[in-house]
Amino acid sequence: MKIQVLCLSVLLLIGINSCKKDTGGTLTLHFKALYDGQSLPMFVTKPYTNPEQLQFTHLSFLVSDLVLLDQSSKVNLKDVELVDLSFDDANTADGGYTISIDNLPAKNYSGLSFGIGVPADMNVKKPADYPSSSPLSNSSYYWVAWDSFIFMKTEGRIDTIGNGSFDTGFAFHTGTDNLYRIVEANIPILIEDGKNKQIDIDLDYKKVLDGIDIKSNPQNHNPKDSLQIKVLVQNLSGALTLVQ
Amino acid sequence: MNFIRKVPGFYFIVLICCIGLLRCHDTIDIIGIADVDLTPIPYQPIPYLPDVPAGFPALEQPVDNPMTIDGIRLGRKLFFDPILSIDSTISCSSCHLPNKSFTDQLSFSPGVAGNTLRSSLSLLNVAFQYHGFFWDGRAATLELQALQPIENAIEMGESWENVEKKLRRHPGYQAEFRKAFGIESSSMINRDLATKAISQFERTIISGGNTRYDRFARGEIFLNDNETNGYLMFFNVDPVLPDAQCGHCHTAPLFGTTDYFNNGLQESADLEGFADKGLGAITGKASDNGKFKTPTLRNLVFTAPYMHDGRFTTIQQVVDHYTSGGKQSPNKSSFLNNLHLTESQKSDLISFILTLTDSSVLTNPAYKSPF
Repeated sequence: MKIQVLCLSVLLLIGINSCKKDTGGTLTLHFKALYDGQSLPMFVTKPYTNPEQLQFTHLSFLVSDLVLLDQSSKVNLKDVELVDLSFDDANTADGGYTISIDNLPAKNYSGLSFGIGVPADMNVKKPADYPSSSPLSNSSYYWVAWDSFIFMKTEGRIDTIGNGSFDTGFAFHTGTDNLYRIVEANIPILIEDGKNKQIDIDLDYKKVLDGIDIKSNPQNHNPKDSLQIKVLVQNLSGALTLVQ
Repeated sequence: MNFIRKVPGFYFIVLICCIGLLRCHDTIDIIGIADVDLTPIPYQPIPYLPDVPAGFPALEQPVDNPMTIDGIRLGRKLFFDPILSIDSTISCSSCHLPNKSFTDQLSFSPGVAGNTLRSSLSLLNVAFQYHGFFWDGRAATLELQALQPIENAIEMGESWENVEKKLRRHPGYQAEFRKAFGIESSSMINRDLATKAISQFERTIISGGNTRYDRFARGEIFLNDNETNGYLMFFNVDPVLPDAQCGHCHTAPLFGTTDYFNNGLQESADLEGFADKGLGAITGKASDNGKFKTPTLRNLVFTAPYMHDGRFTTIQQVVDHYTSGGKQSPNKSSFLNNLHLTESQKSDLISFILTLTDSSVLTNPAYKSPF
């Protein structure tokens, strides 16, 4: 009898633990690059200021302090992640870059917030200060002349006369504390047990580059030449779209 | 049957013989090499914590391959031992010579069956690389990198099965594998342990901290005018001077990255037209075609010729290539454009690059052949 009770208890415990694994929901953030509303694979010719044409070769940005907002509190989802949107073909470009967070407490959240770039407390450090598992350990995302991580990379080649020769490279990198931007979307986000909630975050690079004279100034790494990237960062709010 | 009855110990003798045979069999492995009990040899691993220069990243040792004094000693011996090649003529050090800053200063390294297809990369500071080894990044870890040259038909032309045989029957190596990894018998010597030991030694090859650049970065010295101009252009610090675009790929403090770039060496109208696809041949991604790993610029003066195919014999030629903008192709790095640097500015750039010279590596007794 004692053995039977023991077995029953063990089974009950296993059952309870199994149930525990199913609790909580999943939030999937699906980042995608667009150009004038269309998906944006790399090396595909896109019209710019007539007669100029562009081909993008690399698009990426750091996302930090990703949090779900509640009425009175925040649920931290991720400290930092490198979102790389450089995809070769339309299929993978449509697939985009996904951040998925499991086991979130089921409830109706009031919004989502994340930074593009890294906040000052992270930016004060250097790549060597981060473990190799962190995207911030990659020295390719640090610019010595700024004493800053590179928050966002937008790179490609431009055909300045519209004859199909993309012979000038362009590279706009953002960085420094004053160009860190926080995106806050105050939208109801319902997380349910055992279910996946997807939010599409589209970034339209035609809007990102709006007003930037690529031909005259195709790069911006000089510390006193931040005019172009200030425009680019200002454009971010209008270029980002969140869709549930 | 009567005979058996007359000899009561018969079954006992048969049993003893069987045990004896079994024991004999235990000491002979399947390829006919006597297995040697190594447990009488003490196994007392002493952890090794390398001196990491200030400003460098922390050295993260693999959890399954922590560095020990005996592991490094064994790795060093294996690194310099041509026993790893099919005809005992080529060792790791044949292509990575300490007195040449762990390159061989050749465009294509000679192996047991001709020349390799790529120039040998320097091993300086490989300890701080955690992925992407070889010019095309085909090995994920240093340990996996060390596996490959042995079975490469051109480089060493040997099989790991044979190497394992040779190491297992070698009395010196038996004891050293025991001391390094605590194995109980010689049959436990295998490629996994051999490459772990080689990697442990390679992780000791650290250069930095005492170069003029490092001392300047710590505020201990000033660079001269030419070096300073070169520094300002290298990292685009001064808005008056042109951006030499170097610092995008050759980032401090290691002056290399494990990223890959198309640095304008091959002309191609489309992404498929590269003669040497580099990274793309490994990943299968067209956008990776023509891309190669960024090597370190530390000790560049000792590592000519340059590029994956050793096409440039001087640093001047390298600078001329980059400032010209290189050859056109769709995925050429966006930073490669005609920079219009003057000869004087190019010279200053080279002066700065030479501040990364650490000649102590070439003569460091810890890196010398133990043979």
